[in-house]
Amino acid sequence: MMALATPQIDFAAIEARERVSTKKKWPSLIVAALVSMIWVVPFYYMAVSIFKTHPEYTANNPLSLPEGLSPIIDNAISAWNTAKMGMGLANSAMYGLIGAALAVFFAAMAAYGLSRIDFKRQNFWFMLIFSGTIFPFQIYLIPLFFAYQKVGIINTHFGMLLFYTAVCIPFPVLVLRNYLNGLSREMDEAARMDGASEFRVFWSIILPNCIGPMTATFLLQFTWIWNDLLFSTVLGNRDDVRSIMNSLQIFHGSYTTAGPNLSLTAALIASLPAIVLFLLLRRHFMEGMRVTGL
Amino acid sequence: MEATHISRFGVGDKVKQETDIQLMERIGWHQVKAVEDRAMRRNFWKAFAFMSPAIVLVCGLLLMPVVYNIYFSFTKWKKFAGLDEFAGLSNYAKLPGNPYFDEAFYNTAIWVAASVVFPLAIGFGLAVFLRGVPMGNIFKNIIFLPRILAPTAVAVIWFHVYAPHGVLNSLLGMAAGRPVDIGWLYQDNTVTPAIIATFVWQSVGLVMVLVLLGLSAIPKDPLEAARIDGATSGQVFRHIVMPLLLPTLVVVTILSVLSGFTTFDLLWVMGVGYPGQRTLSLAVYMYFESFQKGAWAFGSAIAVIIGIVVFSVTWIQTVMQSRVDKMTR
Repeated sequence: MMALATPQIDFAAIEARERVSTKKKWPSLIVAALVSMIWVVPFYYMAVSIFKTHPEYTANNPLSLPEGLSPIIDNAISAWNTAKMGMGLANSAMYGLIGAALAVFFAAMAAYGLSRIDFKRQNFWFMLIFSGTIFPFQIYLIPLFFAYQKVGIINTHFGMLLFYTAVCIPFPVLVLRNYLNGLSREMDEAARMDGASEFRVFWSIILPNCIGPMTATFLLQFTWIWNDLLFSTVLGNRDDVRSIMNSLQIFHGSYTTAGPNLSLTAALIASLPAIVLFLLLRRHFMEGMRVTGL
Repeated sequence: MEATHISRFGVGDKVKQETDIQLMERIGWHQVKAVEDRAMRRNFWKAFAFMSPAIVLVCGLLLMPVVYNIYFSFTKWKKFAGLDEFAGLSNYAKLPGNPYFDEAFYNTAIWVAASVVFPLAIGFGLAVFLRGVPMGNIFKNIIFLPRILAPTAVAVIWFHVYAPHGVLNSLLGMAAGRPVDIGWLYQDNTVTPAIIATFVWQSVGLVMVLVLLGLSAIPKDPLEAARIDGATSGQVFRHIVMPLLLPTLVVVTILSVLSGFTTFDLLWVMGVGYPGQRTLSLAVYMYFESFQKGAWAFGSAIAVIIGIVVFSVTWIQTVMQSRVDKMTR
C-alpha cells in the first residue's frame, strides 16, 4: 500500500498559484494580441477586399469594411473564368493526388528493399536515391526543359506527372526507411518462413504497417506539388496543362485587367482546397511535421 | 551473427537449429562465405526490383539533369547554337563583374543572412513568449495560419499590402497623419527587405511550432531539480533548456536558409512590377537569363553557383550538427 500512497495535494494552493500567475500574465496577453495583428491584418484585408467591386476598392481605404456582400459572386465568377481556374484546380488536383501517391508508393517499395532485404552497399543505393534532395531546383530546369522538348512531353499532363513523381520520391524514402528500420522484423520473417513471396510480404505486412508515415509524407508531397510554381511555369505552360498556382500567377501578372479585388479572390480560391485538406487532416499534417521538421 | 540470420539467406530450416560455430565447423568457412555471397547477390536483385522505380525516376529526372546542367555550363550554348562548342570556364569568368550578377549575388547573400536570423529569432521568441500567455493557442494558430497558404497566394496578398495605395501605406498614413505612398516593391532599397519580411511572415509559424515541440519534449525532472537547487530561470534556460533544444534549432535554421535563398515564387510574383526583377536573387536571375533571354549556358553556370551555395550551407549544417551531437551527448 505504501507505493500507492500519494502525497497530499493541496488543490487550493495550486489554484491560488495558478490564479496569481494568470493575473500577472494579462499584460502579456495584450502584447500577444498586438503582435498577432501582423498576422491578422493581411487576412482581414483579404477578407474585406473580396467583397468589394473594383471602383469601391479604389475609392476607399483598403482596410474599410465592404458596402455589401454581393460583389463576391461577380469577383469569383470573373476570376474563375479569366484565370481558367477550373482547369487549373483540376490539373493541380491530378498532379498532387496521383504524383504524390505514386511517389510515396515507390518510396515505400524502395524503403522496403533498403531496410528489409540484406545486401551489400545498401548505403550507396540509399544515398543515390536520397541525393535527389540536395540540389537546388534551379539546376534541373534547363536540362529538363530541353529533354522534355526532345521527347515531346513538354506541356503535357504526363510530363508534369512524371517530374512531380520523381521529385517527390527521395524525401519519403528517408522517412519510410528510418521508420521501417525501427520496426521489428519478426513478422516478415515469419511470413517468409511460411513461404510468402517478397512482394506479398511487402504488400500484406509492410504496407499496412506504414499507413501513418505514408499518410504524413503523402500530405507533405501533395502540398508541395500543389504549391509549386517553378516547374509548372517551365514544364507545363499551356492552358490545358497549367497548374492552379501558375494560373494564379499569370492572372495576377496581368494586373491591369485584374484589380486587387479579383486577384485576391483568385488567391483565395487557389488556396481553399489546401486549407480544407489541412483542417480535415490536421493531425496527420502535425504528425508529418513532427517526423520531418518540414 | 544469429543463426536465423543465415537461414534468411536460404540455407534451410535444418541449419537454423545450429549455432554459427557448429555450422562453420560442419561445412567449412569458405563454403559458408560462398553461400552467403550467393545469397547476398540474390538478395541484391530482389531488393533492386523493389528499388528500381525509385532509382529509375530519380536518376532519369533528377541526377541526369544535374550532370547535363554542369556540362551545359561549360559550353557556349545560347539561343539555338553553341551547344557543341566548348567554352571552358568562360561562363563562370563572366559572372563576377556582371552588374546583374553582382546585384543578384549581393541580394542572395542578404537572403541567406536574413533567413538565418529572422525566422529563428522571431519564431523562437514567439514560442517562448506564447507559452506563458493565457489563450496562447489562439495566437499560435493565427501565426501558423500563413503556412497553410501557397507561397504564390501569400505573394499575391502581400503584393497588394505593399502596393502604393495598399494596406501598409494606409496604416503608415494613419500613423503619420498625412498620406504616404511608398512604392515598397518598386524601389531598390525596399524591395528585398519587403519580400524577406513576407517570407519571414509565412515561415515563422513553422519555426515556432517546431520549437514548441522541442520544448515540450524536454523532460520536467531536471528542470524541477535545478529549481529546487536554487537555479534562476535564466540559468535553467541557459544550461538545461538551450542544450536540449539546440538540435531542433540547427535543423530549423538550415531548413529556413535553404528555402529562403532558393525561393522563386515570392520574388517572381511580388517583383512583377520591379524593373530590376532579375537581380532580386540568383534563383530569379538564372530563370531570367535562360528562359527569357535564351542564354542557356550562362543560366546553367548560375544554377551551378546556386548549387555550390546550397552545398556550402549543407556542409556547415553537417559540421554544426556533429558539434551539437557531441555537445549534447
